[in-house]
Order: sequence, then C-alpha cells, then structure tokens
Amino acid sequence: MFKNEEMEINLGPQHPSTHGVLRVKLRLDGETITHCRPMIGYLHRGVEKICENQSFFQGQVWTDRMDYCSAVANNLGWAEANEKLFGITVPRRAQYIRTMLNEFNRLASHLIWLATHALDIGAMTVFLYAFREREDILDMNEAFCGSRLTTTAFRIGGLREDLPPGFEKMVQKFLAKFETCLEEYENLLSENRIWKKRTVGVAKLSAEDAIGLGVTGPVLRAAGVPYDIRKAFPYAAYAEMDFEVPTRTEADTYARYLVRMAEMRQSARIIQQCMDGMPEGPVMAKLPKILKAEVNEVYHATEAPKGEIGYYLVGEKGSGNPYRFHVRAPGFINLQALPKMAEGALIADIVAAIGTLDIVLGEIDR
Amino acid sequence: MSDETLPQAPETPAGPYVYDYAASPQRQIVLPKTVPVPSLRTYQAEVAAAAAADEAKWQKQLADFEVAKAKAEAEGKDAPKPPVRAVPRKDDNDMKTPWPQEAKDADLLRLQEVLGAKVEEIFEQAGELTCQVAKESILEALRLCRQDAALNYEMLADQSATHYPAAKDFAFSVVYHLTSISRRKRLRLRILVPEGFQPESACAVYPSANWMEREIYDMLGIRFANHPDMTRILCPEDWEGHPLRKDYPVVGWGQRDISFREDRGGMLERIALQKAGQLGINLKQPKAE
Repeated sequence: MFKNEEMEINLGPQHPSTHGVLRVKLRLDGETITHCRPMIGYLHRGVEKICENQSFFQGQVWTDRMDYCSAVANNLGWAEANEKLFGITVPRRAQYIRTMLNEFNRLASHLIWLATHALDIGAMTVFLYAFREREDILDMNEAFCGSRLTTTAFRIGGLREDLPPGFEKMVQKFLAKFETCLEEYENLLSENRIWKKRTVGVAKLSAEDAIGLGVTGPVLRAAGVPYDIRKAFPYAAYAEMDFEVPTRTEADTYARYLVRMAEMRQSARIIQQCMDGMPEGPVMAKLPKILKAEVNEVYHATEAPKGEIGYYLVGEKGSGNPYRFHVRAPGFINLQALPKMAEGALIADIVAAIGTLDIVLGEIDR
Repeated sequence: MSDETLPQAPETPAGPYVYDYAASPQRQIVLPKTVPVPSLRTYQAEVAAAAAADEAKWQKQLADFEVAKAKAEAEGKDAPKPPVRAVPRKDDNDMKTPWPQEAKDADLLRLQEVLGAKVEEIFEQAGELTCQVAKESILEALRLCRQDAALNYEMLADQSATHYPAAKDFAFSVVYHLTSISRRKRLRLRILVPEGFQPESACAVYPSANWMEREIYDMLGIRFANHPDMTRILCPEDWEGHPLRKDYPVVGWGQRDISFREDRGGMLERIALQKAGQLGINLKQPKAE
C-alpha cells in the first residue's frame, strides 16, 4: 500500500529563494518539515584572515563586500570599532553625516528586503517599486563617495570629504516623495489576502527563543523585545536623534514586515533631523599619518539593517595591522534560528522564513 | 663596414618570466613575536619598568654631568651645560589611547565576589568590562552571568578566539561578549586555553553559542566539550588545517600550492595520464626517432 517514509531534499545551494548560495538540508514528512539543517560556507573568502594581514585602513573595502546590501552600515561599525581601539574623537559634523548615510543605507537594505521577500512569496509588483526608490539612494551614495554599492564611505577618524554641493536638495527631493512610496507598498501588501495568508502566523520565533539564539534586529523586535542598539548603546549621533523603536508582539513574518515598514518611516525621520541639525565644522579628526596600535581589544556593535553587527579587534603594540579581526555578522547568528522557525511548518513556508530573516550570504560566510 | 659598428643583437632570454610563487609574500608565514593579551597587570608592570628605565637614564645623565663638570673644572675649561630631563612629546591630535584601568564597575566586582579565586583578572579598557576567569570554570561563570539577578546577561552576542603562538603557557584566548538587554550593559569574559584543551561548551547556557563554537573550531581548531554538533561550518569537512591560526599562510594550503601559470600544461597532462592509466589506456605517444 502507501509507503510512509521521510524524504530528504536539498533546498539550494542554487535556488533563487535562498538569497545566494545557502543550502538547507530538509527532511520531509509529506509536506511538513521534520528536520532542517542550514549548510553554509559556499561563499567563504576568509575576510578575517585577509584583514589581519592588511593595515587598519585597508580592512574597510572588505567590510563593503560582506553584506553588500548594507555596505555603509558595515563601514560605520568598522570605523567606530577602529576609533574605539585608538581612542579617536570624531568631529560632530562627521557623526551627523555618518548617521544620515547609515539611515539611507537602512532604507536601501529594507527596500531590497521588501522587494526580494515579496518576490519570493509571489508578489511581483513590489519588487519593481522598491527597486525604483532604491535607485535614488544608490544615486546619493554615488554623489557622496563615487560608488553605488561597495561604498567605502568612511575613514578612521571621520570622512574623506564633506557632502557634495546639491546633496541637500537630493535628500529633500527623496524625503518629499518617500512617504507616498511607502504608502504605495503598503497598499499593495498590508491588506492583500494572499500576502497575509503567506505571512500571518508563519515562521514564528518567540522572544525567549530569539534572545537565546542571539537573534537581533527586526526579527527580535517583532517578538516584542525593544532592543535597538541605536537606543540601548547610542553611537554616532543617535543620542541626539528623536526616533521610536517599533515593536510588535506577534513574532511572525507579518509582524516583521510591519516592523520593517515602521522602521523605514523612523529612518526618514532621522534623516530629516540630520539635515535640519547638521552642524558646521571639520569632518576629519587630526590623526598621525600612520596609526600604530597599543595592546587593546575592543568589541563594538552597531545596529545594521539586519541586526547587530559587531567588530572584535585586537591591537598589537606598534603594529599597523590588527592582530585579530573578527566580525559578528548578524546574518550568521540569525540564520541559526531557521530550524526553530521552519521545523513543523510546511515546505512552502521555509521560503518565507528565509526571506523574513533577511540574510545575505556574503556576510554569513565572510 | 666592420662588424664592430653593427648593433649587437640582444641575447635571447633564458625563458619566459616566471613568477616565483613559493617566494611570494602571501605564502610566507611570519609568526608574531609578542603576545598582545590586554591585561591591567601586564600594563602596570610595563609602566613601572618604563618609569624605572627612565629614572635610571636620568640618574646616569646626572652622574655623567658631575663627572664632566669635575673634569672641566680640573682642566680649567668652561663648565658643560647641565642635562635637561626629556619630557614626553605631546602629540597635537584627537587621539587618546585607552589604557587598562582598575575595575570599578559593580558587575565585575560582583563576579569577583561570587567566583572568588576563579577570577584571574578584572579590568576596564575603552569603556569595556573584561573579566578573565580560569579556563575550567567558564561554564560556571557563564551560568552566573545568565542566572544571577544582579547580572542578568540574557544574550551571548559574540564568541571568538585568538591564536597566540608566542605565548608560553597558553595558545588561545577565547572571548565571550555578553549583552544584558534589560540593563543595557556589555561584558567580556575571557579564558586562556593551551593547545589541546577542550573548554566546556556554552551551548547549555546560551544556545546561540552553537554556531559560534563551530566557527571557532573550524577556524582555530579549539574543540569544545559537550557541544551538540562539533563539526566544521564554513570550510568543507575534509579541509586541512585551521585558517585563522597564525601559522597558516594567507593563501592557504592545498591545491593552490600548484603554481598553475607555471605548470598548467604539465599538471593537466599528469591528471590525464593518471586517469588513462586507471582505465588501461596508453596515451603516451611513442617518441619519434
């Protein structure tokens, strides 16, 4: 008669919904997932090893290439970790510009998340809309640092250059239309029956599990924990900004969608405040030409769009390169929660679970 | 026209320029000579030694001056200039190196109070709290940080390790970065482990340690005892060596040791011959007489 046995299948590593080269080993009982094991490492380049053999300044280009959707946020964490290691005070204007660019990057990263996540679940139109706005942000990146994706935006001690002329006008133009754009996405998705069926109650992760598994970012906040490093351990100019930390308590994919949409509104608020309160002054601290470290170790964490990105640096006395360069990648830790979210669910829901974690394999494998 | 006026043809080079892969800097292993483990005790000892050396130098300068003065007086010459004590130069920049400082934070004092002699060192540096505990009692310390109501560190944010080949009584430091979400605090626990020692896995207290410990094992070769799944995570299962050790070259071991540009044809031929030999086919052409 009918055979009752479990089937083992591989999702990926070449699968469009795995956002890169993620391989997930699944054991299925019918359509239900009984066992899930993410296998990573296909994109491992040894960023940590390379950065340990380069000078402190040269590490930045590698941080761009970890999470290529949020390069500015990675640059910011890297720059601040180095500044903590050397004890550098960054001028206030540079802090404001950094904050603003970081928030633009959050918008870009959340937009690409929205686009690909919706595409995975079957909503095609949002993809095109979100990429349209992301294009404007990339144009601003280009105006500021000449590069669109791998920005290498900052320097240890501040910025290489001040904002270009006409940048303010670009920002105001973007902010003026962005609110209507957000409403456009929400009109397409928030009350969409198909979208809600694919997301409400899917891939749940309770607050207790999330904290235990080290999950940070919107995934944790959608479980009701108001942990945002911008508020908890303020860095750059976030202590002077007025913004809220949106949280939900449902802890499912739909709640994460709502949290990220609310976060985009807060980011726009922060950008507006940065533009209004932009102080005058230098953008670079006075530094010696060559930075030589002392024996010191720092762990500096910042709130990247995906969660907590931390840099652990160890300095060697008189050395021009870090003795140890370690990155706590948010995607790496967040992906650990995938089995918890997917086991017991239907196989179609694992696509939603991967999308809602917002992973970028370049950062997970480093 | 004699032969000497004709331009001489350049000598034919011995062969195509071949890059010496074995000598490339990325292949060289330069082992570090120092052991940069931040520590208040080491720092204080260094400062004391530097101050003593400075004082000795100054005394020697004074003594030399006295001798020179006496000599000049005896010879009836002008007295030499008295020495000036060197003041450390003050740099005009926005850098203020963070040095280790005495622990004043309540969390560190609480850890020392509860764990007693198991705490090897506590100090603060760059606004970060560090507590070094004995390597055997790391699980106890983690459990205390998680469960103690006064500490309440809910999340293990990061776990990492560093290789110190120049150290004598240990080989690695393993650091645990804990975060207290409710109290908005961070703490670093550190253990120093020798080669071959298996520290207790933190998975029992913090499930997030699972992948981080797998990564440490993969990258540095520290195995954790009682870990649910101690396998490699980023490198393939059959990878040789642990890449983040200091005695591992940047380009790695393995197939990259064949210098492809130099010996591509030869290598392909060898592989083809080997395969053909396995299949019993003779691919070698008889040499033309």
